[in-house]
Amino acid sequence: MQNKNGKMIFIFLLPVLILFSAFFIYPLAYVIATSFSKWNGFTAPQFVGFDNYKYLFSDENFRLSLRNNIVWAGVLGFIQVPLACIMAMILARRPKGWKFLRTVYFLPNVISQVALAMMWTAIYNAQNGVLNALLTFVGLGHLTNNWLGNMDTAFAAVIFQQVFYIGYFMIVILASRLSIPDSYYEAAELDGANILQQEFHITIPMLKPILITTITLALAYGMRHFESTFLMTGGGPAHSTSVMGIMLYTDMQALRYGEGNAIGATLVIFGGATIGLIRYFLTKNSDN
Amino acid sequence: MASKVVKEKKRLGFLGTFFKWFYLIFFLCITLLPLIWLFITSFKTNLEFETASAFSLPKVWQFGNYVKAISMSGLPRLFLNSIIVAVFATALNLIVSAMGAFAIAREKFKLNNLLLSVIMSGVLIPIIALMVPYFRLIKNLFLIDNLGGLILVYSAINLPISVYLIHGFMSTIPKELEEAAVIDGCTFSQRFTKVIFPLSQAGLATAGVLMFIYCWNEFTYAMLLTNSERARTLQLGIRYFKSQFVVDYTSMLAAIVITMIPTILVYVFMHDQIIGGMTNGAVKG
Amino acid sequence: MKKNFLVALLAIMLAVPSFVFANGQSESAGDKEIEIRFSTIWVGADTKAAPVKELVDEFNTANAGKIKVIIEENPDADAYRSKINTMLGSGSAPDVFSFNPDQTSFMFYDSDVLMDFTDELKGDWASNFVDGAIESATINGKTKSLPFEMGYTPIWYNMDILEEAGVSEIPQTFDEFWDACEKIKAAGYVPTSQMTGGTNAWTSMLWYCHILNAIGGPNVWEKDFATDPVFVEAAEILNRMYQDGNTTVDAIGGDAGVSGGHFLAGQTAMFINGPWYIGRVESEAPEVFAATQIGPGPGDKYSNGQVGFPQSNLVAANTSDPAKKEAVLSFLKWMTTPENAAKISQASGAMLAVKTPGVTGNRVQTQFNEAVNNASFLQTHFQFNFATDVMAEFGQALAKMASGKATAEEFVAQIASKIR
Repeated sequence: MQNKNGKMIFIFLLPVLILFSAFFIYPLAYVIATSFSKWNGFTAPQFVGFDNYKYLFSDENFRLSLRNNIVWAGVLGFIQVPLACIMAMILARRPKGWKFLRTVYFLPNVISQVALAMMWTAIYNAQNGVLNALLTFVGLGHLTNNWLGNMDTAFAAVIFQQVFYIGYFMIVILASRLSIPDSYYEAAELDGANILQQEFHITIPMLKPILITTITLALAYGMRHFESTFLMTGGGPAHSTSVMGIMLYTDMQALRYGEGNAIGATLVIFGGATIGLIRYFLTKNSDN
Repeated sequence: MASKVVKEKKRLGFLGTFFKWFYLIFFLCITLLPLIWLFITSFKTNLEFETASAFSLPKVWQFGNYVKAISMSGLPRLFLNSIIVAVFATALNLIVSAMGAFAIAREKFKLNNLLLSVIMSGVLIPIIALMVPYFRLIKNLFLIDNLGGLILVYSAINLPISVYLIHGFMSTIPKELEEAAVIDGCTFSQRFTKVIFPLSQAGLATAGVLMFIYCWNEFTYAMLLTNSERARTLQLGIRYFKSQFVVDYTSMLAAIVITMIPTILVYVFMHDQIIGGMTNGAVKG
Repeated sequence: MKKNFLVALLAIMLAVPSFVFANGQSESAGDKEIEIRFSTIWVGADTKAAPVKELVDEFNTANAGKIKVIIEENPDADAYRSKINTMLGSGSAPDVFSFNPDQTSFMFYDSDVLMDFTDELKGDWASNFVDGAIESATINGKTKSLPFEMGYTPIWYNMDILEEAGVSEIPQTFDEFWDACEKIKAAGYVPTSQMTGGTNAWTSMLWYCHILNAIGGPNVWEKDFATDPVFVEAAEILNRMYQDGNTTVDAIGGDAGVSGGHFLAGQTAMFINGPWYIGRVESEAPEVFAATQIGPGPGDKYSNGQVGFPQSNLVAANTSDPAKKEAVLSFLKWMTTPENAAKISQASGAMLAVKTPGVTGNRVQTQFNEAVNNASFLQTHFQFNFATDVMAEFGQALAKMASGKATAEEFVAQIASKIR
């Protein structure tokens, strides 16, 4: 079907296309091209075929990082987003102090990750950390632990500190929720629907597009997750919290651009495919 | 307006009310935690930060940390630069994204879904992998050590997120509104300026807030693409407390507190003024 | 109102290009003055910031109208490293900059972006540097960087704790060391500061080097890391320092703040760091400062070895313009004259690879100098001898071993797998 507005559509898309090509397509092409080479950045790249990829997938640490990223994506997409959604539903009904609460919930996103990482490192510290002190105080002293230094708990500890910072997704969902006209709820109210029924029959269907958007975004953030883990543990101890971004950073610092870019390319291609698939199922369901 | 809001009345029941307040208070605690910690710790000595419990009060309140933070070299210039970069990058990003999102969300053409998916997958690209190509690009545009370079990079990096978010909001606008406008004689661009753009201000404001905060807190490219005070942002100023061997953590936290304030204000205003103002009146079912 | 909002946004957009290019032009203000861009991390809280700036200003005054050195300030050492890597990868480099010497940064030598000082150093200039410094920066006969700051990392002993525990002397052998550890624990203190975190597990990496000095001797880095048993043996000793309360409970996963903080707080008896840490101990923990004694680690087959390594080397970008090359060289020579180096050292407490006559220091600084001068041999650290990804693996492997999930052999093998 030829759209009669073809020319205008093109004009409207042009700025996006230019910027996107310059800052995404071209760099991505560079990342993919160099991922087939051994390259330190300043001497001529040597073509090595799929060697970098073979090395990556034979590397236990990379498989662990990939798994950790998938866990991150799952936690953000299917735990953090629902938590944020529930919060948006509650706030949209304007409970007492909702404007204040809405602001406070978002604040951790304003604070730089550097400060947050410092705080949580201090909370989890084995010797003078608050968490251990709290456990001892309530009589659970046997549970005290070197939270970020123990290979069995570090990953959970790093995830735990992020999962409750729902503000980012909350404001997205809340903005959409607030634009649902009150009259819909008034009508449902007259029909005798209780709050939960209203949420299930009005809010969730109306929010479906934005929920799909946020879940997809959350999945993508999980796949490329890097910063807070890097700042708190650097991927340690013994790689237990490692993610692909940290491996990529290590390779870049070591001037192994070929291998680093192979990680980058894997992240984009593998991540893109997975998210595309999940998005496909979510949209398909919503059509029914 | 408030009278129109559907009150919960007693329909939620005791359990529901309990759950609701438990939920609100739990998240209040967990989000206030960092603020309290930041505030307390920014008044501690470095030794206290390293060895005392995280939420213990400082023995002596170190106001000197704030003196150091405020006397950070070139603070007014860094502040101004941060504001310029954040405002212009946000504006550029929003306009480009809104136009693109409009074309994708409100028109059917062959590459609709593919285009959105491709742009969306840009979110996945690990930004640190792009340091070499971005440096080359900005150097070839003669924008190294120039606010324009940062503005361009920041608005481009966030295109995927903004396009995707704004698209999400635009696609919820009922088709009938646009059809009515077309019957009234609106052209293609008028449909954008008069109907869709105003109606998606909730989405624009949301994307704008996220974008602004990103610009305000970005460090990697601010460091890479600038060499002197004339193009540097606050995040670089904060790192001056971190030298090769010794980090003055608590002064750094004081600087973080000071530099955080504008973003909080932007958030409060953007959200209250734009979203609050629009949603109550704009859409009449 | 909505329309105005849109108009305003569009106006802003149109304004962007004009203001973008407005300050792009100011670059070419050149008469004939040669501009040298000196990209440095010696800024802000760094103790070398003030004396370096002073020297640059003096140089500019002396060469007014001919050469102008412009300091480009770069805080944050890790980000600085990424920036230099990226710039070199894009075929451009600052006129003068510095790097941390290790087997990754020495890869820069393969490119022709760096200025070669080999011929210049055949003259008197070389005599400004301490013995062995130029050799440490020479690869395949080429010297493309100038050693500037040195790191010396002897052991710091808190004598108050040792004496309270009934240990009157610094332990000379490992038997004495373990004996001292038991006594220290009995007295309610923790024997050693350790850490597996940060980018290089700094304190523990240096303990490992001291152990290698004692059991492997002066040429230990010439041995094959993957196969020589000395590295496994040293790992076993390092691992023991992590067990049975010989270090703090937060050492695994801890960073430099953890390992240094415990020493500053008077909780640990033995610690390792460079001379840059003296100022902090003096100002923040005067009692610990008063109790600090600097010395060698316990000896074994070899004794009284110390760990010393180039910490920052000065580098310049290659240039085809002879006048500019001359200007850059004259600036670098200015920065590395003994009297100017002495000014930096005196003001900052840094120990330099350039001779620094007449520099005086406090008690601990004097002990640092004595420890270095009296050492039976000086040997570089692990970090200098390997690429950064091998260094990063050290902390990961150490955490695994210290958690009891890997043997010393596995620890060595895990690190060796990264050596390529």
